[in-house]
Amino acid sequence: MSGFGRELWFLWRDRAAKVWLLIGFAAAGLAVVFGLMEIAAQRETIERLKTADEIERAVTTEAHREDWGSAAYYTFHLSYDAPEAFAFAALGQRDASPWKHRIRMLALEGQIHETDAANPDFALIGRFDFAFVAAMIAPLILIMLLHDLRSGERASGRYNLLSATSADARMLWLSRAAWRVGALAFVLLVPLWIAGFVSGAGAPKLLGASLALLAHLLFWWAVIACVNTRTWTSTVNLTTLIGLWLAFAVVAPAAIKAGVDAAIEVPEGGDIMLTQREAVNDAWDLPQEATMKPFVERHPDMAPYAAIEGTFEWKWYYAFQQVGDQIAEPLSIAYREGRARRDALASRLTWLSPPAKLERALQRLASTDATAALQYEDEVRAFHAELRAYFYPPMFRGEPVTDAMLAERPNFE
Amino acid sequence: MTAALEAINLSVERSKQTVLKDVTFGVAPGEVYALLGGNGAGKSTALLTFLGLLTPKSGTIRVQGRSVSDDLTAARRVTAYLPEAATLYEHLSAHENLAYFLSLAKAATDRAALDRALDRVALQPEARDKRLGSYSKGMRQKVAIALALLRDTPILLLDEPTSGLDPIAIDEFNTLVRSLADDDRAILMVTHDVYGACQVADRIGLLRKGELVGGFDRPAEGRIDTEAVHAAFAGRAVA
Amino acid sequence: MSTIFTIAAAEWRLWMRSRSALAALLAVVLIIAATSVLTAVRFTEEREERTHQQEVAEETFLSQPARHPHRMVHYGHYVFRTPPPLAIIDPGVDTVTGQSIFLEGHRQNTAMFADTRASANVGGFQSLSPAAVYQILIPLLLIALGHGVFVREREARTLAPLLAQGVSGVTLYVGKALALAGLSAALLTPLLIMSLIGVTSGEAIGVSLAVVVAYGAFMLVWSALIVLVSAVVGTRGVVLGTLVFIWLAWSLVTPRLAVASASAAAPSPGKLETDYQLLADLRELGDGHNAGDPAFDALRANLLAEYDVDSVEELPINFRGAVAQASEADLTKVMNEYAERRMALEVRQSRHVNGFGWLSPVLAVSAASRHLAGVDLETHHRFLREAEAVRFDFIEGLNKSHTQELSYTDDINRNQSPEASRRARISPENWTVLDAFRFQPATSNQRFGAAAAPISMLAVWLTSLVVAGVFATGRLKP
Repeated sequence: MSGFGRELWFLWRDRAAKVWLLIGFAAAGLAVVFGLMEIAAQRETIERLKTADEIERAVTTEAHREDWGSAAYYTFHLSYDAPEAFAFAALGQRDASPWKHRIRMLALEGQIHETDAANPDFALIGRFDFAFVAAMIAPLILIMLLHDLRSGERASGRYNLLSATSADARMLWLSRAAWRVGALAFVLLVPLWIAGFVSGAGAPKLLGASLALLAHLLFWWAVIACVNTRTWTSTVNLTTLIGLWLAFAVVAPAAIKAGVDAAIEVPEGGDIMLTQREAVNDAWDLPQEATMKPFVERHPDMAPYAAIEGTFEWKWYYAFQQVGDQIAEPLSIAYREGRARRDALASRLTWLSPPAKLERALQRLASTDATAALQYEDEVRAFHAELRAYFYPPMFRGEPVTDAMLAERPNFE
Repeated sequence: MTAALEAINLSVERSKQTVLKDVTFGVAPGEVYALLGGNGAGKSTALLTFLGLLTPKSGTIRVQGRSVSDDLTAARRVTAYLPEAATLYEHLSAHENLAYFLSLAKAATDRAALDRALDRVALQPEARDKRLGSYSKGMRQKVAIALALLRDTPILLLDEPTSGLDPIAIDEFNTLVRSLADDDRAILMVTHDVYGACQVADRIGLLRKGELVGGFDRPAEGRIDTEAVHAAFAGRAVA
Repeated sequence: MSTIFTIAAAEWRLWMRSRSALAALLAVVLIIAATSVLTAVRFTEEREERTHQQEVAEETFLSQPARHPHRMVHYGHYVFRTPPPLAIIDPGVDTVTGQSIFLEGHRQNTAMFADTRASANVGGFQSLSPAAVYQILIPLLLIALGHGVFVREREARTLAPLLAQGVSGVTLYVGKALALAGLSAALLTPLLIMSLIGVTSGEAIGVSLAVVVAYGAFMLVWSALIVLVSAVVGTRGVVLGTLVFIWLAWSLVTPRLAVASASAAAPSPGKLETDYQLLADLRELGDGHNAGDPAFDALRANLLAEYDVDSVEELPINFRGAVAQASEADLTKVMNEYAERRMALEVRQSRHVNGFGWLSPVLAVSAASRHLAGVDLETHHRFLREAEAVRFDFIEGLNKSHTQELSYTDDINRNQSPEASRRARISPENWTVLDAFRFQPATSNQRFGAAAAPISMLAVWLTSLVVAGVFATGRLKP
């Protein structure tokens, strides 16, 4: 029996260790399978939405081509944030933040915050994804594997014999622990890599995720090693370690979340919509110039066509929709920036909670974090601006709706 | 002749309590030395200090003339240790336990050698591939002794080797220890069993509250006088 | 009886003398205190804030100037879901669902701006409420303190002398279980205080105490399990390993597996997707803004016949208003069908999840807690339905004013000049069609009804674990 393989063989003969490793393997396997199923479902949903959207747009466009105002009013445009190939590993914020919208040329602030949320009970419980297994369950399994490494031998009276017999006792404990850490990493990473190849996530992401997981396991190994240097009994070790797990994985994140939310004020989302609606509704009763002036400031190229005749014209209607957005803009920006700042602060503070850090890192790799949600929101805003840029010139110039022009209508991409 | 094991003015503290106080003795090759003492006399502490698992507060311990604290690895290479109520891994068989521990000691392990050692301790061949969990206490002890034999070291440290064994097993064990000493090994055993010590030991050191309070040598013929040792152990004056 | 008490008291004394047990107890008590205070402060504020917002929204609506009635239909109104008093124990779905809905004509909006979206993302369990502490953390404390009740005696070889004293295994079991039950009762004190605070904010005393009882039953389930495992498993390490494994399976794994299973068994297409089908259905109903839509030909013919006139201009009522009224009613019927279908699906999913309470008492107690506190999915659905009722009432009220208070001629000429536009307005008295809305928690009976299933799950868990414990300790070997 060679020195290198010896402790691997020893681990292989340890039934309890094998059971815990099997649990880790099953948890990681289930998690990636659920993750793959979920992103497949999301992709299918997007495909179905795209088909439905195409049909719907064709019908409404055909029905409302009398002028550009009606064409813009009645047609909805689909926007979506397709999951990344790696999203199976960390479903992240996609249960809470929207990843699909139908928007039209009306004030955007009234539309962009709509959330097509899943069952709230689901959001409350959370998803069984790889990030959860790696961040929350893996440390517990590692604790179960390592907590009695020395204390167990001490309790059965073998500690002195092992120390006296082995040529290098420190190496013995190190290699015993290392094989266990390595085996746990292995059983967690194998399902991840298989799922990664199935979904085509690409080696760089998988490597990044693997390194993050290894760093997390090393942190816990260090914590466990610190506790193990005390000559406590296995029971005391285990209860201490589970207490530390609670502190790092449950209490610290909750405290960080509460602290961040208290430290950084974010405007009530409802206020944005309220402001925008009040602005739009008030505009009906204001002199038309009061709307057109701020509008032209944003769109100087429309100035020559900004005169409104009569009491109702589509361009006035869309101008006050836009001005509604402009009035709500400071709040909307504060809401966006507040969320970004909260996320940035949470990112710094989660160094205090490695499990939370790992989940955030995996969500970043999977583009399912707050940054990705904000980025999608920006994409929707850009798309809405594109729609405005497309509709305004012919509408303001009073041009007829033509097939040639319709063919150039922007699509979300 | 240099002593294989030497303790010179050895004092050891554990948890700030003095456990051994100014103890001096030596064990020569081919000799069985028994440290005899009651509970808490400091017997096991002496063994653990020879193994380098405890550090002396003052004094010196030497293995084959070299200080243990200077070269722990060398000391361990020449020392085999049989712990009290030796518990090897219950989920492994005799063969597997031996192979595992020998690998730890970086000693060669071929199956024939393992069987020769198990033959010498008289472990039934049909039990050797069964898990230790199914063994009796005496059988487990035999495996532990086989391990000590296989290390093939010039020095053996035995901690309460016969506690919990039945009389037949004790007899077998004592015979074995004698034959090992006859192979020129230095054997240090600690025990509270007066009768057993007198049966196998060439010399006995009586330990009480960390101090060496008496010594007995085997006469040229026969054994050390059990009665005398017993009286000394119990603190009575010998007539 | 006194023997049982002596056995229990021995355990208590042991915990009182163990520094690590006291430290663990202290840590958990601090966590309970912190989460209780934070959650109580937060939800008391939320209750006041949302009640206030509701009042402001109503005042704003009523103080609108004279307008064209359809303008008010689009001006819309807000309703807020006020959390029930017991949300200070269990906020339930309150944090993951939007708390307000914008009500307007022709549309059923979703509840907006769930807290979870804007707050910091830290993964895992995120926020801790008293409910979460009792569901997840307390069992760990019970395990840490209680796992040794039998196995400690076995390892110290004191079990044989105890049995030799003539103490039966069952007596030992009851005594040890009583020790853990007493600890559980002490740990329930903060929860009892919170539920009494709930009572002072207007919660019925029955459901408030029932929440405490449900958590008490849950802790007894754990106590019974711990004593059972400690009695039947040989060594301390294996006892702890088994209990930690069960805790992991019950608290972390099963609930999330239940979610995965429910979303596979009853996949929900999402509102956006069903909206496409809804739109196709609605097109057949006609556009209520366009009285010329052929879909309203029948309505026109009926009205002309009813009032015996030849043209819509001659009708004593405003035809545009009548179209708006009729189309809103038709539209609402279709939208409600879709909404009901979606809610029924969600209820099915949640039942599916709650069914896993047979595998994990954590799911059973969390369902019971949400039902009893009035923060369950059904409460959210009731909010959606009540909001829809408010919406339909005031929209149709406005449409009725449109039909009766505004002449058809003024209405169709409203865009001719600023003067004509002013003529096409009705006075603000008409805005009083809006009823005051205060979201009320479900009645105690409804909540008990909803909680009956998970509570009976807890009862079955407790009974079977106790039976198993008595059976196992009846044949207790040292």
